[in-house]
Amino acid sequence: MALVSRTWEGVGGLFRDRPKPTPDVIMFLLMAGLMALSGVMVYSATFVRLEADIGDPSAAMRRQLVFAGLALTAFIAGSLIDYRHYRRMLIPLYVTTIVMLIAVLFFPPHQGASRWIPVGPFQFQPSEFAKVALVVVLAGFLAAKPERKLKWDRLGLALLLTVVPGYLIFQQPDLGTMLVFGFIAVGILFVAGTGIKQIVVLIIAGVAGVIAVFQLEVLRNYQMQRLAGFFDQSYDLQGVNWNLYQSQIAIGSGQLFGRGLFQGTQTRLSFIPSQTTDFIFTTVGEQFGFIGGSAVLIVYAILVWRVLMVAAGAPNRFGVLISVGMASLLSFHIFVNIGMTIGLVPVTGLPLPFLSAGGSAMIAMAGGLGIVNSVWRSRTPVGEFQQVR
Amino acid sequence: MRDPRSRHRSPPASRSSTAENPTKPTLRVGLLAVLFTVGFAVLFMRLWFVQLAVGPEWARQADQNIIRVESVAAPRGNIVDQNGIVLATSRPQLVLEVDRAALPVEVENDVIQRLAAILDVSPVEVRGQVERARSGEVALLTDFLVDTDTAYVVMEQRRSLPGVTVKALPVRGYLRGQLMGHVLGHIGLPSADDLERLPQLDANTPIGKLGVEREYDDFLQGTPGKIAYRINAQGDVLDVFGDPEEPVQGSTLRLTLEIPIQEAVEEILVDAIELSNALKEDREPTDPTRIPGPTERAAALVMEVDTGAILAMASYPNFEPEAFVGGIDVDTFEELSSRQAFNNLVIQGLKPPASTFKVITYMTAVEEGILPEGVSSPDEPIQCSPQLQADFVDPSQLVWRNWTYPESDGSQNLHDALRRSCNIYFWQIALSIWELKDDEPEYEDVVQDWARGLGLGRGTQVDLPFENEGILGDRRLFEEWQESQPWRVRKEGWLGGDLMNLVVGQGPILATPIQMAVAYASAVNGGTVYQPRVADRIESSEGEVVRTMEPRVLRTLDIHEDTVESLRKDLASVVSRGTARRAFDSMGSAADLIGGKTGTAQAFIDQDGKFHDSTAWFIGVAPIDDPLWVVVVMVDEGGSGGAVAAPAARAIFQYLLREPVTALEAGEDTER
Repeated sequence: MALVSRTWEGVGGLFRDRPKPTPDVIMFLLMAGLMALSGVMVYSATFVRLEADIGDPSAAMRRQLVFAGLALTAFIAGSLIDYRHYRRMLIPLYVTTIVMLIAVLFFPPHQGASRWIPVGPFQFQPSEFAKVALVVVLAGFLAAKPERKLKWDRLGLALLLTVVPGYLIFQQPDLGTMLVFGFIAVGILFVAGTGIKQIVVLIIAGVAGVIAVFQLEVLRNYQMQRLAGFFDQSYDLQGVNWNLYQSQIAIGSGQLFGRGLFQGTQTRLSFIPSQTTDFIFTTVGEQFGFIGGSAVLIVYAILVWRVLMVAAGAPNRFGVLISVGMASLLSFHIFVNIGMTIGLVPVTGLPLPFLSAGGSAMIAMAGGLGIVNSVWRSRTPVGEFQQVR
Repeated sequence: MRDPRSRHRSPPASRSSTAENPTKPTLRVGLLAVLFTVGFAVLFMRLWFVQLAVGPEWARQADQNIIRVESVAAPRGNIVDQNGIVLATSRPQLVLEVDRAALPVEVENDVIQRLAAILDVSPVEVRGQVERARSGEVALLTDFLVDTDTAYVVMEQRRSLPGVTVKALPVRGYLRGQLMGHVLGHIGLPSADDLERLPQLDANTPIGKLGVEREYDDFLQGTPGKIAYRINAQGDVLDVFGDPEEPVQGSTLRLTLEIPIQEAVEEILVDAIELSNALKEDREPTDPTRIPGPTERAAALVMEVDTGAILAMASYPNFEPEAFVGGIDVDTFEELSSRQAFNNLVIQGLKPPASTFKVITYMTAVEEGILPEGVSSPDEPIQCSPQLQADFVDPSQLVWRNWTYPESDGSQNLHDALRRSCNIYFWQIALSIWELKDDEPEYEDVVQDWARGLGLGRGTQVDLPFENEGILGDRRLFEEWQESQPWRVRKEGWLGGDLMNLVVGQGPILATPIQMAVAYASAVNGGTVYQPRVADRIESSEGEVVRTMEPRVLRTLDIHEDTVESLRKDLASVVSRGTARRAFDSMGSAADLIGGKTGTAQAFIDQDGKFHDSTAWFIGVAPIDDPLWVVVVMVDEGGSGGAVAAPAARAIFQYLLREPVTALEAGEDTER
């Protein structure tokens, strides 16, 4: 009993007595390692073309390392700021997010989608930050009342909080990110105490939603084609399934040990579109083989496990739900992104955390992990609980 | 325990361990962890499957992905004359290549504009060439031959010309200008039809379109080589992969023709046209509706009597095969087309053979013993009167006039009639046949049967494309025409007048010079019909003989030696004393070696009121005692055979017999 109550209500109690909050070193090291790997992978996939096109083989890698630096800064900032402050800023945070998501729709589309706001030489992608914001807002909303069981009205409100930005993102269009929102909400609500009945109702609603999506033809043509391509992976290899096909060639040809760094023909010769972004895992799979690929999988598993451990050890409900939200966010990206490169899920444009080239996702996720780390730093060390017991 | 709300909120009767344990979130977190673990396990297994279970297959595909196999054009085989002198060969030529896969659509227009400016042609032409390749494929701009300067310009501007490269290709080169143009033919890129018909063709490799280039294309083509390049996804070539397969040059085609003879014949043919035009100018215009246009077309052929090998084949107007290398320009093509320069009159020019056909009627008469009424032997004469009343034959032509009308040509037997080309005698033969058929119907087509046996009204099977088969009329053909082409024949059908026309080579008979050459050769050699041919043998590019074209006998006719003997003698008399005498005057005693027959197809006024002058023929054989060659000269609308064609043939014989070739002078204006 004592253990439990302290876990929940230890704020300002035991923590005050703790000599010094320690950061989650493992989490930090895994994340930084992935970022370093990202630089190498981006280099391996771009140096041939860049050398030929602009005579500077490392341009893309340097850009990626700049992002990594910014992301580490965001992680440290997130770690240092006491996450409990966010509870007071939920409404402004949510409103800012919604405004940004509306604003982005007014910028000229790029490759058929309005996802980016140009900021100098960079493209700022609000939806990436919106994911982390949603984690904090939902966690804050649900932690406001320490209920054992979620009431229907609060469940409804939580869903509404999710659906509004989700809809805006669907308008960009960005189906993948919209699904991330849904998954974050499901993860947080599950831990926040949805009852069996509510879960059943949610599942029914979800199935109905999917049917409605197909019946009402809300999906765009390319989205339908990608789905069709997924269900018949040998169809239209030169077109719809080109990415998937080339991606599987790349990963499959890596076999056990990989073709060696800078040796993969698929990677070096740019056979795979979006290879440094959505399909970055193919560079790992081709060059480092099953050993490298499963090593990356294990790194991700440990990272998610660390975040869940933070959730388990969080001193309050807010911390628990933030961590769970971040764990959901990370794992959904990992499952969908890697799953898509090896033909497990349909192709969707979700970045692989800390590996895909691009700043917004990396900075936002690193910041999010920083917040998790902040939760970790404010934890009640397990040992102390046991002593108390 | 600090917050009483926590306890307060605990449901009093919760199921499971969570009832007394408010760490329900931790349980749910644990459930979540299990879920994620399952997720990772699935990824792990799928990765194992993709990389280890089916990995080797993917690795093979990765290798295929980056290899582009290109065909390397093989040089076309040489074409040489009988003595091995090269007429057509292959030379390296720079051309531009546009890889449409490496040419982004949005800049395609821009690149085409640039290329047009560099090549100094219209963008439309460039686009036409580029779009011969489907998008994503490689187009060779073979219509624009590039010199080294242009090639450098293109290479310097490489950055603004994505997908454009300069390539050295073997292209056809003809070394002798217009010489033998019709025999050689020309090449060109395969048309859509060709590609459909022969799917193994490469759209960028020219094929033979005419002449031996077409007929022997399979041999001349050669075998393209193969080279594999390692490329990236943009199609940029990185390096050569493996050992390239070298292309094998096409086989060498050795013709039966000999360049010196051909040169002489072509020159003489041009002289004959000049002579014909000079005669037309000198002639007093008698009837303003019958003023001949200039002579423009003529054909000549020298063929071996005992093998069918063609030593020279000339048709005028002619063209330079080289004009088609790298695509012929539209103006040149249209100019040549309007003059029908691509027609090889030797195998395609259909004309009434006129009096040259009398040789066939002569053979029929002697072999079948069908002579004019009341005549019992070829030596028995009748009057070659100025005209003939034949009102019992049909109403169309009551009075038939000899070419000597209003003069009589005196008393003539069959031999005289051939020498003097007396129509009356041959018409009398036709009338005998017409009467005979009432009792013995199998004799109705006796002349046509002989003509067909000697090669008229059917293909000679010469090894050149687009030969015309000609027309050889008889009752059956007229009946067919009444069904299929009723405008060609009157409704009464086949009449005696048609046969009368036919026996003197007019009316329902059209033949090409090569058909007449085959007929004469077969008649004077004793009845062996050879396939005429221009190819002697095929050798590999290393000089090994691949195939030798032996003389090919199509059929043999049963002709009595006496008949052949008599025919040769009478042909010789045509030259020594008959219609061709004056034309052979300048040849002196060597003319005794020659036998032949003049022919002058009737002048006529066509439906548009245009006057067409007589077509001049001479078909000669030498040496007449033991014939080696048959020579045909046909000058289309050129005037009298004796006046125009015979002198040209005489000059050709002078060349063949190594006599001094004397200038062309008009022979006797006969047969009209």
